Amino acid sequence: MSHIKTENLTYTYSAGTPFKITALDNVNIDIEKGELVAVIGHTGSGKSTLVQHLNGLLKPSSGRVLLDGEDIWSSKEKVRSTRFRVGLCFQYPEYQLFESTVYKDIAFGPSNMGLSEAEIDERVRRAAKYVGIPDEMLGKSPFDLSGGEKRRVAIAGVISMEPEVLILDEPTSGLDPAGREQILAILKNYRKMTGNTVIVVSHSMDDVARFATKVIVMNDSRVEDSGTVDEVYENSAHLSEIGLSVPQVTEVFIKLKKLGYPVSEKIYTVEQGYSELMRLFSERGLLK
Amino acid sequence: MIKDITIGQYFPLDSVLHRLDPRVKLLAATVFIIMTFAVNNFVGLLLCFAVAAAVIACSKVPLKTVLKGLRPIFLIVVITSLLQIAYVKSGIVLVDFWKIKITSGGLLTALFMALRIALLILMSTMLTYTTSPTALTNGLDRIFAPFNKIGIDFHTITMIMTIALRFIPTLIEEVDKIMSAQKSRGADFESGSLIKRAKALIPLFIPLLFNSIRRAYELANAMTCRCYNGGKGKTTMNALKFSGGDYLSVALTAAFVASVVLLNIFCGEYNAEFTFNAAV
Repeated sequence: MSHIKTENLTYTYSAGTPFKITALDNVNIDIEKGELVAVIGHTGSGKSTLVQHLNGLLKPSSGRVLLDGEDIWSSKEKVRSTRFRVGLCFQYPEYQLFESTVYKDIAFGPSNMGLSEAEIDERVRRAAKYVGIPDEMLGKSPFDLSGGEKRRVAIAGVISMEPEVLILDEPTSGLDPAGREQILAILKNYRKMTGNTVIVVSHSMDDVARFATKVIVMNDSRVEDSGTVDEVYENSAHLSEIGLSVPQVTEVFIKLKKLGYPVSEKIYTVEQGYSELMRLFSERGLLK
Repeated sequence: MIKDITIGQYFPLDSVLHRLDPRVKLLAATVFIIMTFAVNNFVGLLLCFAVAAAVIACSKVPLKTVLKGLRPIFLIVVITSLLQIAYVKSGIVLVDFWKIKITSGGLLTALFMALRIALLILMSTMLTYTTSPTALTNGLDRIFAPFNKIGIDFHTITMIMTIALRFIPTLIEEVDKIMSAQKSRGADFESGSLIKRAKALIPLFIPLLFNSIRRAYELANAMTCRCYNGGKGKTTMNALKFSGGDYLSVALTAAFVASVVLLNIFCGEYNAEFTFNAAV
């Protein structure tokens, strides 16, 4: 059954002025419960506008957003409760930390939900564990942490609300490779432990290939394509036309094929590439 | 909501007014504002409005946009008008009911004040609409250049102004972003008592302050890397130069001042009773 869904979602910025911009044009997406969805597209394609509609931060100019089959704009209370059920973590979330301690900052969301002290405490500790923040860090000021740690604290601030749908807007931008790996592991882990839906806006085609169960490609305010990684990445020529590229390892295999080697072009992760090369080597008797 | 503030905004177009020397525009706007307060009769005020209309027409800025700039001051105009009506007791008594006493003098003074404020805002928005912040501070820098000789570092002051103006849109964007982020965590900026609402702003202001300080350090570093060391010996890439239009504008401004002064002498201070009787 579909978990979160949009119907003919259209959004225009500054409607009625000469500066009118259509940021979303008739967008229909349908996400099942427990999926790990990647939304990809170049800058200005409407990805961020789309995810801000999913938790009711932006009101559609026309069209609907449905959570479990119900319109999130049907009443005022519904919008507010949607914010807790659909957790949205913005790009560079570390710049939104404000509390005196890491603990209090992570507790901000749950306490806005009106939970009991005990429940809040439990959720804060659970969220901290998800993102790998040790107990002794909870008493520190968030402003004293490193960039990667701040990022994880900020993500914990959204995870602590234990949303049914967790959305992250470019969670790995500006991090070093180790930091990126950590964040991606958090997402996978959150989905596995809770069975909840996770949506990630990303630029990195390499990362997307490794974790997504479904890919939505945005281009010029519309959904250009959607499907599994294999389905979407197959058409590499089209992806580069709309300003996206296939993973580096895919490019390598496309070149190998052009050079006449009998390899598959449908290689999207390094692991797949490794086994494909091994297959080729053993076919040619290069492996003992 | 926040994006509706238009005071201090620049409206990039290509018009006669946009091309004028910022020094001329600054001086002309200042003179105009002084004259709207010097003028003491409705004929003179009418002339001021005619000039304002001509300026708006020359600027090519859509009238709707210009009038939108008046919206935020609407409340101020209403309050000043009410105060004038309450305090000025001259001319014919129009309404005398319980404690409320409205006179023709009060009404006319209120109208006069309201029109003056409207003119003031109109002209200053026209100045910023047609002059980019950089040009504006560049103009100020040149106008006040003589002060540098007597030891007042005016260059630094104009540099601070340039930077402040430059960062207004950035800060607005940032406020928007932080508000959205905190709303996503269930923050409620719109309901509750006054104290509750003030408290709700803490999650907005602390990150905003923190980020501003961080940005200030980054900017200072970036300026140092480009060898900025204050105004000493600094020349501008686009040196300001007077052209035909600038001389014409100065002449027109002088003519405007002369007309207002003449109208003040010949039409005299508006007489509440007289004007009212004439109107009726």
